[in-house]
Amino acid sequence: MNQFFLHHEQSKELAGFSHIQEMAVRKNSSIQLNSLCKSITESIRIYYILDGKFEWLINEHSHVLYPGDLAIVLPGQSFAGNRDCLDIGTVCWIYVGVEYIDKNRRMVLGNWSGLTKNESATISRILQLNNVAVLANVKKALTILQAIREELFGQEIGYGTRVNHLIDELLIFIARQSTHQNNFRRDFPQTFAKLEEALRQNLSHQWTVEEMAALIGLGTTAFSEKVKNYTGFSPLNYLINIRISEAIKMLKRQDINVTDIALETGFYSSQHFSTTFKKLTGYTPGDFRKRNSKT
Amino acid sequence: MECVITIELGTNAVRVFAFDLSGNVVGSAKGSYPTFHVQPDYSEQDPEQIFITMLYVLKNLITEKLHPQKYTVHSICFVASMHSVLAIDKHGVPLGNVITWADNRGKKEAHDLKMSDIGKVLYSATGTPIHPMSPLVKIAWLKANDKERFDSTFKFLSIKSYILQQLTGEYVIDYSLASATGLLNIHSVQWEANALDFAGITAGQLPQLMSVFSTPGKLRKEYQNSLGLSAQTRIMIGSSDGCMATLGAGTWREDKATVTVEDSGAVRVVGRQVLRDDKQRFFNYLLTENYYISGGPTNNGGVIFEWFAKQFGDFGVPFDTEQIMDNLIREASNVRLGSDGLLFLPYLLGERAPLWNANARGSYFGINIKHERQHFIRATIEGILYEIYSIGKILQEHRAINSLSVNGSFATIPFCAQIMADIFNLPVSMASNSNSVGRGAFLLSAIDMGIYSSFEEAADSTTIKETVSPRDGTAYAPYYKIFERLSTKLEAEFEEIAALQQRV
Repeated sequence: MNQFFLHHEQSKELAGFSHIQEMAVRKNSSIQLNSLCKSITESIRIYYILDGKFEWLINEHSHVLYPGDLAIVLPGQSFAGNRDCLDIGTVCWIYVGVEYIDKNRRMVLGNWSGLTKNESATISRILQLNNVAVLANVKKALTILQAIREELFGQEIGYGTRVNHLIDELLIFIARQSTHQNNFRRDFPQTFAKLEEALRQNLSHQWTVEEMAALIGLGTTAFSEKVKNYTGFSPLNYLINIRISEAIKMLKRQDINVTDIALETGFYSSQHFSTTFKKLTGYTPGDFRKRNSKT
Repeated sequence: MECVITIELGTNAVRVFAFDLSGNVVGSAKGSYPTFHVQPDYSEQDPEQIFITMLYVLKNLITEKLHPQKYTVHSICFVASMHSVLAIDKHGVPLGNVITWADNRGKKEAHDLKMSDIGKVLYSATGTPIHPMSPLVKIAWLKANDKERFDSTFKFLSIKSYILQQLTGEYVIDYSLASATGLLNIHSVQWEANALDFAGITAGQLPQLMSVFSTPGKLRKEYQNSLGLSAQTRIMIGSSDGCMATLGAGTWREDKATVTVEDSGAVRVVGRQVLRDDKQRFFNYLLTENYYISGGPTNNGGVIFEWFAKQFGDFGVPFDTEQIMDNLIREASNVRLGSDGLLFLPYLLGERAPLWNANARGSYFGINIKHERQHFIRATIEGILYEIYSIGKILQEHRAINSLSVNGSFATIPFCAQIMADIFNLPVSMASNSNSVGRGAFLLSAIDMGIYSSFEEAADSTTIKETVSPRDGTAYAPYYKIFERLSTKLEAEFEEIAALQQRV
């Protein structure tokens, strides 16, 4: 791709795409001081390396990128060049603004996106949990970026829809690819152990099967089948296992009240907690605590 | 109609079976739980998750399979994997997680003890090899490295003791599991004073000893209600997975050995006498006052083949390890016995019997330009089974073994069973019931109920599905000779490479 630079305040090509803050291809032929200082933005930044070798600090981790590699910087994450300089080479980027970040640190994309609310939330969650800043050797991303550029400059009928579709496609591709890169998709027990860790770290979250499956990089049907085969439980029942086991530990500690335990372990209410707990153990949480009390 | 439930608290999962009184499986279910490795040598599990998973699986089995078929549960027999340690405080609350058999944090304590005179005394008194797996060593580690937990510990339990305490209120342990703690004198069947001294604890800090046929008490009322069981349901303490795998495989004769290979493996024999070994290579676990299960365990069983499959198999469908392994075995069967001179040492996880060397490592040896991928597959499988034979071979110094009974997911692959028959040059039989541990626990209950009059009679009731005969009994011998020599010859290099690997 030849060099170009589009900015939402200056470029007529971006009129009607308020969420695309920048899109550009830049060929950098000399190293200049302070050409890439540390910054934090509120948009999703996607970089694709066309030529050269780049050393970047993304979210305080250093990465070396080669042609064909893609970097993604999420809202709130820091981004800087090594020694604050942009290395020699050619890079393509697009900055996609998000409407807002909700209290669970999830990105809400805005009306332009065709992703459903659930899918968009899941993609956002996966990108954060996988914490993969760099995808190695993803030529397909270039095809999508090129198509976006062509649509923006060509402005043929339907381009407004196509551009937004392509951005959705790019985000879906990055989410899937980051999961595949994280798991080799060979070792189910190992991959499942990672998922389990993610569940435990955020037990109060209302996990859905879609989210869990996406984290492992499988479709929901294949995922549920695998989990059932491996653990003996459906994904949601397995989650209940973890919730109740954690709740038991808290009940034995005596210093947290039952409602807080219920919420912390991801039950909707103390009623929901109590019913589930009793069905499984024969005790209500209160009785269970009494039986294990210090007297 | 009456049935017997067996509950196996295994390494990765709880497996529950229901048997009718003739020994047919009328229902089964499993539930898995994770192992946490917070540090490289650590291997822990959450006792509450194990308990909840067991309850959940048991409840589902009873309400979905047994009640609709109008079965009433006569008894529930418990089996657990060996060597686990759980510290609890005076209120019965766990102090941290269960430390499993695979935990190696006590490496240094084990090494020092093994080299000492008291180590030799303890090995011959307790029958448990001095190794980080041993609860004796784990408790000593806690004493030296986790003083706070050690000092607040009211009792040191096994995972089964904890589960039974939750269900019945009593702190108990059976002779089999106790004999795998390194703390029980297997000759006097009392806690061994020297071992207690070494661990720094009193007998009062351990659960109450019981015969495998004993009942610790009745099921608590709440669990009777939630599980839909009557107060008459007998809770039987049961035994260890190793002992039950031997009983369930139908091996109750001195001239027969049982080979179990799942992820890890073991070769075991049963007898009325302890096997004495100056090199401390065998375990001698107690089943009842007059029976010992002796043998050697290996770390490197099916888990090594799985490792190979994950690294080098063709994954068309994600996570489809089983299909991959089937394909690999098909490829391996194209190669001649002995893999045209390619040898594999399978010690990727260090090794227990017979080397007892945590620093042993794997190796392919003898590679030449004509070796192809399929040779590596076959060599990997043969290497795992040479290691099994190396345990069997030292057992043969003590017992004349005339046949083998194999169980476990890896050992019962027909291709593997045939290789074992060839390497051992002995007939190899496979039981019809693939879960020997569950079946063993059923037989124990059946003996208790008077259905069988003796262990021999119970074991004989196990039907054999298939017997494989050796084809060319001497063909493997020259390969095995090199395997054995390499395994000992490389000792110095194992040390050095392991030291380098630990630096990374």
